[in-house]
Amino acid sequence: MSANLLILLAPLTGALVAGLLGRRIGSGLAIAATITGMLISAWLSIRVFSVVAVGDGPVIREEIFSWIVAGNFNVHFGILIDRITAIMLIVVSGISTLIHIYSIGYMADDPDEPRFFSYLSLFTFAMLALVTSDNFLQLFFGWEGVGLASYLLIGFWYKKESACNAAIKAFLVNRVGDFGFALGIFAIFMVFGTLDYDRVFQMAGAGEFKPTVDFLFFGDVDTITLICLLLFVGAMGKSAQFLLHTWLPDAMEGPTPVSALIHAATMVTAGVFMVCRASPLFELSETALGVVTVVGAVTAVFAASVGLVQNDIKKVIAYSTCSQLGYMFFSAGVSAYAASMFHLMTHAFFKALLFLSAGAVIHAMHHEQDMRRMGGLAKKIPITYGVMMLGTLALTGFPFLAGFYSKDAILESAYAAHTGLGTFAWIMGMLAAVMTTFYSFRLVFMTFHGKPADHHAYSHAHEAPWSMRGPLLVLAVGAVFAGMIGVPLVGEGWFKGAIVLGQGHDALAHAHHVPFWVKWLPFGAFVVGVYLAWLMYVRLPTLPGIVAETFRGTHRFLVNAWYFDRLYDWMFVTMAKKIGEGLWHTGDETIIDGFGVNGAAKMCTRIAGGLRWVQSGYIYHYAFAMIVGVLVLVTVYT
Amino acid sequence: MMVADVIFYLFATVTVLSALGVVGARNPVHSVLFLVLAFFSTAGLFVLMGAEFLAAILVMVYMGAVAILFLFVVMMLDVDFSMLRRESVRYLPMGFVVGAVMLAELGLMMAHHPGEGLHLGLDNTDNTLAIGQALYTRFLYPFEVASLILLVALIGAVALTHRERKRVHRQDISTQLARTKEDAVELRKVASGEGA
Amino acid sequence: MAVEQLDIHLVLMMPEILVAIMAMALLLLSAWTHKGGAGVIHWLTMMTIVAVVLVIQVGSGTATTFGGQFITDDFSRYVKVVMCLGMVLPVLMSADYIRGHGMDGGEYHVVTMFAMLGGMIMASSGGFLILYLGLELMSLSLYVLAAWRRDDRCSSEAGLKYFVLGSVASGLLLYGISMVYGVTGGTGFAEVASFLGKPEGHGSQLLALGVVMILAGMGFKIAAVPFHMWAPDVYQGAPTPVTAFMSVVPKVAAIAALFRILFDVFPTYHVQWVPILQLFAVLSMAVGAFGGLVQTNIKRLLAYSSIGHVGYMLIGLVANSQAGAQGVLVYITIYLFMTVGVFGLIIAFDRQGLGENISDYQGLARKQPVMAFVMAMFMFSMAGIPPLAGFIGKFSIFMAAVKGGFIPLAVVGVLFSAVGAFYYIRVVKVMYFDQPEGEFKVTLSGGGFIVVSLSLFMIFFWGILPGDLLAWTGASVQAFH
Repeated sequence: MSANLLILLAPLTGALVAGLLGRRIGSGLAIAATITGMLISAWLSIRVFSVVAVGDGPVIREEIFSWIVAGNFNVHFGILIDRITAIMLIVVSGISTLIHIYSIGYMADDPDEPRFFSYLSLFTFAMLALVTSDNFLQLFFGWEGVGLASYLLIGFWYKKESACNAAIKAFLVNRVGDFGFALGIFAIFMVFGTLDYDRVFQMAGAGEFKPTVDFLFFGDVDTITLICLLLFVGAMGKSAQFLLHTWLPDAMEGPTPVSALIHAATMVTAGVFMVCRASPLFELSETALGVVTVVGAVTAVFAASVGLVQNDIKKVIAYSTCSQLGYMFFSAGVSAYAASMFHLMTHAFFKALLFLSAGAVIHAMHHEQDMRRMGGLAKKIPITYGVMMLGTLALTGFPFLAGFYSKDAILESAYAAHTGLGTFAWIMGMLAAVMTTFYSFRLVFMTFHGKPADHHAYSHAHEAPWSMRGPLLVLAVGAVFAGMIGVPLVGEGWFKGAIVLGQGHDALAHAHHVPFWVKWLPFGAFVVGVYLAWLMYVRLPTLPGIVAETFRGTHRFLVNAWYFDRLYDWMFVTMAKKIGEGLWHTGDETIIDGFGVNGAAKMCTRIAGGLRWVQSGYIYHYAFAMIVGVLVLVTVYT
Repeated sequence: MMVADVIFYLFATVTVLSALGVVGARNPVHSVLFLVLAFFSTAGLFVLMGAEFLAAILVMVYMGAVAILFLFVVMMLDVDFSMLRRESVRYLPMGFVVGAVMLAELGLMMAHHPGEGLHLGLDNTDNTLAIGQALYTRFLYPFEVASLILLVALIGAVALTHRERKRVHRQDISTQLARTKEDAVELRKVASGEGA
Repeated sequence: MAVEQLDIHLVLMMPEILVAIMAMALLLLSAWTHKGGAGVIHWLTMMTIVAVVLVIQVGSGTATTFGGQFITDDFSRYVKVVMCLGMVLPVLMSADYIRGHGMDGGEYHVVTMFAMLGGMIMASSGGFLILYLGLELMSLSLYVLAAWRRDDRCSSEAGLKYFVLGSVASGLLLYGISMVYGVTGGTGFAEVASFLGKPEGHGSQLLALGVVMILAGMGFKIAAVPFHMWAPDVYQGAPTPVTAFMSVVPKVAAIAALFRILFDVFPTYHVQWVPILQLFAVLSMAVGAFGGLVQTNIKRLLAYSSIGHVGYMLIGLVANSQAGAQGVLVYITIYLFMTVGVFGLIIAFDRQGLGENISDYQGLARKQPVMAFVMAMFMFSMAGIPPLAGFIGKFSIFMAAVKGGFIPLAVVGVLFSAVGAFYYIRVVKVMYFDQPEGEFKVTLSGGGFIVVSLSLFMIFFWGILPGDLLAWTGASVQAFH
C-alpha cells in the first residue's frame, strides 16, 4: 500500500475504530485512535507537500482499484496529487488534526465523545478523498461523503430541536446543489465519454467535443457553458453561495469545532477547489466565468451586510465565511485561480482560528453565544483575546498578516481584469471589505471591550484548557505567517499544469502592476471599518440603537438575512406540503376515505360489520381511475 | 346468408340487452337469470360460427354450474343491493360519459380497420377433435399452467375459508379408544337434600 | 388430421418443473402432517429454492421449447434468480411472523411458491397466451396471500381490493392481446414480430390500441401511476412478509415480461410505447415522491416509495437501449435487497408487538443504535445517496436515459429523487432526533438476522464495488437489440 493511500486510510481507520468500538474501548482510547490516524495523515501530507510543492517533484498519479467497469463506462479509484491537491492536503489534514486536539477540551463533558471524533475523522476521510480524486465520480463520492458527515455533525446534539432542523436543512439545500452537480457530471460523461480529469481536460483543450447540446427547453446551448454552470450549481450549494447560502448560518447549531473545520476551513471550500480544479473547462466559457464572478461578488456583499447586524457570535463568523467564499469565487471568475487558492489557504487558518477562539469564548461564558451578553472579556481571558485579535486582523487585511496578501491579490486581480464584470466585482469586493472590517471589530469590541453585560457569567469566565489553547496558538502563527510564506502561490505558473488559463486571461499577472491607490485602497477600507466600529461600539455605545431605529426597514431587512429563509420557506416548504397534502386529501381522503365509513384508513378501526365493505364505493373509484387512465392513453396515444 | 345474418343480429341483440339487464335489474336473482340468458345467447353465437364445442361448454359449465352457483350465493347472502345501487347512481353520469367516450373511440377504430373477417381455422365438421389435439399437443404447456391456476384457486378458497370448528362433535377413534374411566367419570359426595 | 411434430425439451424447464412439483408435494405434506409439519415445510421450501437456483445456474445459452412458447436465455435466468431471492428472503425472515399470526400450516409456503412460479413463467414466456397464464397464476396467488390473515379486516380488504382491481387489469390486458391477435393472427411473440416486420404490419391503429391496453394491464402489476391506486391499501393491509414478497417478485416478473414484449415484439412500435412509458415514469415518480411526504404508516410509506422506484425503472425501459435494460436490472436487483432489508426490520418490530407507525421508531437510535443505523442505511440507500447501492441503481438508470437522449426525463428523475429523499430522511430523523416513547427492545429472529445483514452487506458492497453486478446484468441483456 502506498503512503499516499495511507493519507486517506488513516483517518478512515480512526473513524471506524472510534465509531464501532468506541463504547467498548472507552472514549480515551477512541480519541487516541482518531488522533493517531490524523497525525499519520498530517505527517504524510506534509511529506507529500514537500515533494510536490516545495520541491520540484512530479505530479503523483496512482490507480488504486478499478471501481466500475461497464461497457465503455470505466471509473477507477485513483489518487492525483498535483500542487492544488498538495495545498488542500496540508490545509485539510493539518487543520483537522488541530481541531481534533482542540475538541478533546471542548467536548470533554459530552457523553458521546467517541461518536463525535468518529464523525470528525470520517469527514476528514471524505474530504481527503474529494481533494485527491483524479476523476469526477470519485469527486462526487467525496462530495456526498462530506455532505453526509456534515449532516451528522450539525445534528450531533440531536436532542436540540434546532440542531435537527438545521441538519435537515443543510442536507436538503445541499441536495439542490448536488442535483446540479450530478447533472453536470452526467453531461461531462455524455459529451466526453469519460470522467477522468486528464482525459476530459485534454479533450476539452483540444476541442474534441460537440460544441452545443440540446438541453431541456433551452434548445441548443453551448456544451461547456452548460457543464460549467451545472458544476457551479453544485459548488454554490456546497460553498453556500448566494441563493443556496441559507443552510450555512443554521449549521452553526453544531459544536464549534465542527463549525471551524467543516463550515469554515474545509468543506465549504470544496466548491472553490472544484472550480479551480475544473479551470480547463471554465476557461472555455466566458459565460460561466461571468456567472461565477457575479455570484461570488454578490455573495461577498450580501453575506457581509447581513453579518453587520448579527448578535450571535458564531453567526457573525458564519456570514463572514460566506462572504469570504464569495471573494474566492469572483477571483476564480476573473481567472485568478491562484489567488483564490491562496485565499482559500490563508482563510482556512484565520477563519479556523476565529471559530476556535469564539469556541473558547463560548466555553468561557458557559455556552452563551449572544454577544450582547458578553463584554469586557479581554481582562478575563487575555490569551483568547490575543489570538482572536490576530485572527481578526488577518481577516480584515491588516498589513503583512495573512489576509492582507491574499485578499489584496484577489482585489487587485479583479481590478486588473479590466472587464466590466471584473470592475463590478472589485467595487463589490471593496464594499465588502469595509463591512468585513466593521463587523469583525464590532465582534471584538462587543465581546472583549466595554463593560460586562452579565456579571455572573463574567465573574465565572475562565481561560480554556491547554488542549484548546495549543491549537489556537498554532493557528495564530498560521494566521500571521501563511500570507507571507504563501506569496509565491500567486507568482507566475506556480501551479504548473494544475491550473490552465485561457488566452488573454492574465488578470493575476497584471495584478502586480495596478496603480498605487488600488493597492492601498483595501487598507483605507480597513481604517474606515475600524473607525466606524470603534465609534459605534466603544466611543458611543448608544449609537447602534439610534442607527437601527433610524433605518428600521434596512435593519430588519439585514437581520432577517434579506428574508431568504422566509421566501424559501414559503416557496418550497409550504408548496411541497400543499402538493403532498393535496395528493393526500384528494388522492387518499376524498377518494378513499371520502366514502364515509367505508374508507380504507377508517375501515381498519371503525367498521365491525361483516360484509358492509361490499357496499363501499371506493373500489369503484380505483377501477374508475384505471379506466380513465386507459381512456386518456387511448385518446392520446393511438 | 340472409338467415345467418338475421340469427346473428338476434343473438347479438339479446346478448347486449341481457348484459344490460344484469347490471340494471333491481332484484339480484333477476340479474343472475339475465346472466344465464346472456351466456345462452353467446352460446348461440358460437354455434353460428361453427364452434359447437365451445357452445356446449358454455351451456354446461357456465350456465349449468357457474351461474347456478351464483344464484345460490345471491340467495343465501342477504346483500342489500338497493343501498349499493343508490351509491352507484351518484357516479352514473360520470361513468356514462367515460363509457360513451371509450365506446366511441373503440368503435371508430374498429370502423377504420379494414375488415377481413376472422379465420377460425377450425374444421367445421369436428372441432372437438381439433381442440383436443391442439390442447394436448401445441398448447400442452399453457394447458398445464392453467391447471395450476385452478389448483391455486382451490388452495386459496380452502385456506381462506376453512376453519377448525371447535364446537362441532367429530368422531376421533384414537381419542375414543384412549378414554379411561379415570378421565371420564367423576365421583362426588353430595350431601342429601342439597344436590341439584 | 395430422398431429404436428412437437419440440418438447423438458430439461430446459427444469427450474419451473422443480418448483411446481415441490409445491404440490409440500401441499400434500401439509395436508398429511396437519400443523405439525410447518417447520419441515419451511425448511424444505428453503432447500427447494436453493436447488432451483442451482438448477438455473446449470443452464446456458438460448433455447426455446413448446414451439417457442418457452424461452430460456441469460436474461430469463438472471431474472429468475432475482425472483428466487425475492421469494426466499421474505420467507426466511418471517418464520416466526408466520407462526405468530396463525399463518402457518404449509399452504402459505405453497402459494408463495406458486406465485413465484407464475413469475418465472412470465419471465420465460414466448407468447401472449402463456404470458397471460403466468401472470394469472402469479396474481391469483398474490390475491390469496394478501388476504392470508383472514381474521384481520385490513388483510381481507386488501385481498379483495387487489382481486377486483386485478381482474379489471387482466381484462384490459386480455383485450389488448385479443387486438394483437385479431390483427396479426398469432399470439406467439415470434409470430407477431414476424408479422410486424412485414409492410402490412406498420401503422395499424388496432395494434396501437392493443399496445396501450397491454401496457395498462402490465402497468397495474408494477403499480405504475395511474394504475397504482391499489398499492398503498394493499401494501398496508397485507401481512408484512407478503408485502415484502409482492413489492419485489411481481414487479420483477412484470418488468421482465415488458422487456420481452417491448424489445422483442414491438420494437417497431416504439414511437407508441416510449411516450406512454415516459408518462408512466414521470407520474409514478411524482406520486411516489409527493405521496410519501405525509404518510404515517411505514408500510404505506414504502408503497409510495415502491411506486417511485417503479418510475425510475421505467426510465430505463424508456431509454430503449441495452444500457437502459441493464440499468433496470441493476436497479431492480438493488431494490430487492433494500426492500427486503427494510421489511426485515419491520417484522422485527412486529415481534415486539409494535405497530407500523413511523412514530414507533422514535428515538430508536438512543436505545438501539445498531438497529437504527441499519435502518438509516436502508433509507439512505433508497434515497439514492452514495456510497450506498441505491445510488448505483439511480446512476445507471439516469446514465442510460442521458445516453438515449432523454435528458429532460433524467432531470425530472433527479429532481423527484431529491423530493423523495425527504421522507426517507424523515424516518432517519425520527429515529435519531426524536424522544423515545415507551420501553422496548427490538430483536431480529435468526432468519431475520441473516436476511438483514445480507441485505446491508449487499447495499454497501454494490454501492462501493458494483463491478460484478454491472458485469452480470450487462451479460444478461445481450439478448436484446
